[in-house]
Amino acid sequence: MEKITKDRLDEVLKNPPPENGRYIRVGMSSCGVAAGAAEVFALLRSEVEKRKLAVPVVPCGCSGGCHSEPLVEVCVDGLPSVTYGKVNAEIAMRIIEEHVRDKRLVQDYIVDAPMKRAVAL
Amino acid sequence: MTTTVVLIRDTDSGGADRTRDVHDLFTQKVRDAGLQNEVQVVRAADLGIYNKGMVAKILPQGIVYAGIADADVDDIVTTTLAQKMPVSRLVYCGANEQVRIVMRNCGIVNPECIEDYIARKGYQGIKRALYDLTPEKAIEELKTSGLRGRGGAGYPTWLKWSLARNAFGDRKFVICNGDEGDPGAYMDRSVLEGDPHSVIEGMMIAAYCIGATKGFLYIRAEYPLAIKRVQKALDDAYGTGLLGKDILGTSFCLDLEVRLGAGAFVCGEETALIASVEGKRGTPRPRPPYPSDVGLFGKPTVINNVETFANVSYILLNGAKTFASIGTDKSKGTKVFALTGKIRNSGLVEIPMGTPLRVIIEDIGGGVASGKKILAVQTGGPSGGVIPEQHFDTPVSYEHLLELGSFMGSGGMIVMDEDDCLVDIAKFYLGFCVDESCGKCAPCRIGGFQMLKVLEKITDGKGMPEDLDTLKRIAQAMRKASLCALGQGAPNPIISTMKYFAEEYRQHIVDRKCRAGKCTRLMRFEILDTSCKRCKLCVVNCPVHCIAGDREKGYRIDQEKCIKCGRCFEVCKFEAVARS
Ligand SMILES: Cc1cc2nc3c(=O)[nH]c(=O)nc-3n(C[C@H](O)[C@H](O)[C@H](O)COP(=O)(O)O)c2cc1C
Ligand code: SF4
Ligand code: SF4
Ligand code: SF4
Repeated sequence: MEKITKDRLDEVLKNPPPENGRYIRVGMSSCGVAAGAAEVFALLRSEVEKRKLAVPVVPCGCSGGCHSEPLVEVCVDGLPSVTYGKVNAEIAMRIIEEHVRDKRLVQDYIVDAPMKRAVAL
Repeated sequence: MTTTVVLIRDTDSGGADRTRDVHDLFTQKVRDAGLQNEVQVVRAADLGIYNKGMVAKILPQGIVYAGIADADVDDIVTTTLAQKMPVSRLVYCGANEQVRIVMRNCGIVNPECIEDYIARKGYQGIKRALYDLTPEKAIEELKTSGLRGRGGAGYPTWLKWSLARNAFGDRKFVICNGDEGDPGAYMDRSVLEGDPHSVIEGMMIAAYCIGATKGFLYIRAEYPLAIKRVQKALDDAYGTGLLGKDILGTSFCLDLEVRLGAGAFVCGEETALIASVEGKRGTPRPRPPYPSDVGLFGKPTVINNVETFANVSYILLNGAKTFASIGTDKSKGTKVFALTGKIRNSGLVEIPMGTPLRVIIEDIGGGVASGKKILAVQTGGPSGGVIPEQHFDTPVSYEHLLELGSFMGSGGMIVMDEDDCLVDIAKFYLGFCVDESCGKCAPCRIGGFQMLKVLEKITDGKGMPEDLDTLKRIAQAMRKASLCALGQGAPNPIISTMKYFAEEYRQHIVDRKCRAGKCTRLMRFEILDTSCKRCKLCVVNCPVHCIAGDREKGYRIDQEKCIKCGRCFEVCKFEAVARS
């Protein structure tokens, strides 16, 4: 592993790395996993690979909306980022085909997760 | 160009859901205005806003309109979507803003990727401490921030560190308390799973401040995913040179290690936890001496909660003043609560100290899922208390909760509605403490058991008015004479329910009734002869065969033999079994 030095940390402060503009994040804490996030994550990953879509599928922790897990946040070019709640295999497929491929948001599953409302300081 | 998205949701719970109608209307108007290529109208499942009529949220701007009538749709389309101007009369500014300090990265970073944390200005706090601040200055910074411990009692963090710094010892230790055993609490698990590096960085800062070279993260064994992620985070921190020797090119050295919790609730108590890390039986010992003087292996030790450490790294990064600008006079910053029970949105919320309970429960939590009346909320876990609905405008802070006879605790918040029996709840918490008592001291071991016996008597319908005095007397003794906070706090749920819900106790004792129907021994089942169709279903289902009779005379329950299991009530298809 590359060492993290003081210079490296200074550089991050001076030139913050750009926020990655494209991602599919899956809440993979205990609450998410208990609700089936691991299967959703695996499915999204394999579909993205199979279709050679240029969007990384990454795990993240719980943003607090445990009642709507599995939560999947999608940020792709040309659309504002939104979060889908209670995602299962079927909705995950629709996210890939409708949202990521056709650039049309999926109806009826978007939750405005607390994270989105939070004033992150 | 980013497409504009309009999220639509009918937030009224009563009546028909009109989301679909308004969505269709919106879509039509957008098409009429020729905006269909720039605007998408989408039905949302939940916008985190409740009972505010039809709500539209416009992304990416984040404008929220509430109470939208069909006639307003035109205006929103022509003014906001076409001309990018707000429709001020519809703008909604919710009171339900959370503030994310502890959970600043939760749900954003990949917890298994140290680079993600670095990109979010991770490890800048320890860098600043090492290069720009002496340990004294860093402790001073914490003092200015006003941070108090998040593990329960709210002891000022800077003071604890300052005592440990000034204590004499050839070695010193830092410990992170991740034993989290309160029923209904899981904030610490979430932080450890979602952003482990923020806790590790907080521990590094503590170690630097007090002069420790070794530390432990004590995590309960029931949290395998948290343990795995913390271990990965530690491995990466070692791999990148952030732990071990000569950290960030200075002479600062620190080793951190995970220790698994032994599974007992009392092991979360700091002196018991220390004993457990030493490989001894996890029982509390009298304090003083406090761990800051005589801690792990007899050496000065700082022990803080997970959330406390996550705050520390934030404070060193963003400065004490930023932190102290949030919260109340004596309670600074935010608090994470795990909202559970009869609430629509169970989950974690992080709110600035001073936020009224009502905002947490009704605006953020969305109120009671069933639409029933909220009775109370329990905070502070087994040492906490119950706060009735009439006090929901109280701001959340260490002082205010204490005034109400409850307690901040680690952050469990359990909402109760009409279906809950407060005497039964009190019995549940006391039962928990009796089970978890380590038995070392008599007031807790014997007092807890005696109180539980009295409560059982009351819920069995054998209570006497004088039992309430007995409860109060034992509670006094336990509070005064127990060795640790488990025994001292165990009577709190009983005392607070007796204070706020005296009428419920009276009903149980005098009327021999349980309003919520939770105390089964107080229930009475009877067959209503006029409604009974003589189908015999209850007779064959009664596990103790106490329903007798025949088709002519009808059926009767032998009240002496009935065990109040409720089977007859459930199986009867003609509502001929009455429960009271
Ligand atoms: C029975 C009992 C259980 C406790 N459990 C925890 C716990 O799970 N996590 C925790 O941080 N503190 C717990 N505490 C409080 C700790 O003793 C200690 O006060 C705390 O870890 C100090 O950290 P803080 O100053 O950051 O709050 C418990 C206390 C008692 C009496
Ligand atoms: S108060 Fe209870 S848990 Fe604490 S030391 Fe005494 S017996 Fe053990
Ligand atoms: S199940 Fe109901 S209707 Fe049938 S015998 Fe029992 S009380 Fe009467
Ligand atoms: S409550 Fe249970 S025990 Fe009593 S009569 Fe009904 S079925 Fe029998």
